[in-house]
Amino acid sequence: MSLLEIRGLSVRFGGLTAVSRLDLHVDEGSLVALIGPNGAGKTTAFNVITGLYAPSDGSVRFEGREIGGAAPHRISALGIARTFQNIRLFRSLSALDNVRAALQGSRRRGVSDVLRLGSWSASERAAEAEARGLLDELALGAFADARADSLPYGEQRRLEIARALATRPKLLLLDEPAAGMNPAEKQALRELVRRLGAKRGLTIVLIDHDVSFVMNLSDRVAVLDHGEKIADGAPEAVRRDPLVIEAYLGRDGEDEA
Amino acid sequence: MRVRSLAGAVAALGALVLIDQIAPRLLNPYFVTILSRIGIAVIAAVSLQLVNGFTGQFSIGHAGFMAIGAYASAALSVFAGAEGLELAATFVPISVARVAYFPLALVFGGLAAAVVGIFVAVPALRLRGDYLAIATLGAGEIIRIAILNIDAVGGARGFSLASSAHPAVDLRFEGLGGVFAVAALTVLAIARLVYSGGGLAFRAVREDETAAESIGIATTRVKVEAFLVASFFAGVAGALFAHSEGYIHTNSFGFVRSFELVVFVVLGGLGSISGAILAAATLTAAPELLRGLGDWRMVLYSLLLIAMMLSRPQGLLGQRELWPISLLTRGSR
Repeated sequence: MSLLEIRGLSVRFGGLTAVSRLDLHVDEGSLVALIGPNGAGKTTAFNVITGLYAPSDGSVRFEGREIGGAAPHRISALGIARTFQNIRLFRSLSALDNVRAALQGSRRRGVSDVLRLGSWSASERAAEAEARGLLDELALGAFADARADSLPYGEQRRLEIARALATRPKLLLLDEPAAGMNPAEKQALRELVRRLGAKRGLTIVLIDHDVSFVMNLSDRVAVLDHGEKIADGAPEAVRRDPLVIEAYLGRDGEDEA
Repeated sequence: MRVRSLAGAVAALGALVLIDQIAPRLLNPYFVTILSRIGIAVIAAVSLQLVNGFTGQFSIGHAGFMAIGAYASAALSVFAGAEGLELAATFVPISVARVAYFPLALVFGGLAAAVVGIFVAVPALRLRGDYLAIATLGAGEIIRIAILNIDAVGGARGFSLASSAHPAVDLRFEGLGGVFAVAALTVLAIARLVYSGGGLAFRAVREDETAAESIGIATTRVKVEAFLVASFFAGVAGALFAHSEGYIHTNSFGFVRSFELVVFVVLGGLGSISGAILAAATLTAAPELLRGLGDWRMVLYSLLLIAMMLSRPQGLLGQRELWPISLLTRGSR
């Protein structure tokens, strides 16, 4: 069954068409990679799925429900979480608070926070324990009390994933999680993503502009170029697809500069 | 833990009674008035800190909500409270009736300000940054000028808290204990609201709205709630001011007052309750204590502000809290 079903999605900004008639389905439990050169419309697609942009045309269905144009916080509540290409942490908060803020258990603002009666401190402690558990799972336990913006780059990327997981998503969207990482870090990240998918039964869509990174990782690869999907299928087949090679390397005889 | 909270509450109550009884005997009335104004400034500053420092929305019209609270509670006292107090005095001692009535008047002032706060917040919080600041400044001025034109509350003559039908009833509320009790409750409420799992939503909105939305925080709602709570407590501060001064005029709630409150939160450190309290206390006392310098006092006051901003642009405390605040929010972070 398709967890996410995108049909005929177009996103236009004035005269610019960022995504054009995109069809994409993501099966439950699968790991799909969305690749393409810079400016291909990958992040725009993520932004529509998470409600930051409204689709100009077409539909986005999650578990059969239309979510195109819904408010981001409502889409999050349905079970879609994401990370951002240019890391967006709550910079001056501690790593622990970044994760706590995303926990459903923390969603009691108001009178009960002021009065602090009865089970308040128990649930507060449970939320903190859950947040610490997530930090440990992503090997961030040692950074729990450090300011988010003081963390090393790779740790900041993992903290974003921890924060996304804290919302208990069914679908996790990772926007270029490997950007700026060296080969060893990339390998570790690949292991992490694989583990998350397997252990938590998560469905994952991952953006990268590098085919090789997603090759041994994803079940399926979809390739975007200039807002259009030019290939969709098993990683090996996609890698050999002439249209994909052309998008990345250019046509024969074309000036490479 | 329960025992310790209880002990803390008893100690706080004892301190309040002590301030209430001792301060007027030791100090001359002038200093008592300054102390009372410090208490009121603390309430207003800490409530503004919730919006500006913790939720990251720059509001510079806070005095408008103080005006609503001041005039609404004063009108309640003059048009209904005086009669009620006189009536109650036939059943119970007047001092008891007064103790029961004044919290009511304060809450009424706060609620009136909160209602107006909603009407301002819902459209204004769609704006960001400079635009929001200008909208709140405008709202504050609109409120002030609207009140200035209501003849029932004195218009340009100002509004005196005395009922012509019941001249014997004293509607003024004196005593530092009450002012500081309300200030302490305000600090307690806002500190606990902010420093809790749920309160992280305010700080998340300040840090990054897009990221906050992406983890399920309804950012517009959080901003409106912050504004609502802040305007409620600003209204309470205004009500306290009205009932301790005994006479109010819209001039007390102009944009100069709003700016003063902004200075308190910025100088104290955006995102620090302790900082807002410290700044409100020192900067309320400073112009008075510098009075001996005559014409030079405002020059010195300005130099003090400039020196502060140059040496500590993040404010007195940055985002840190001093231990008394941590004590209030024990059990969370």
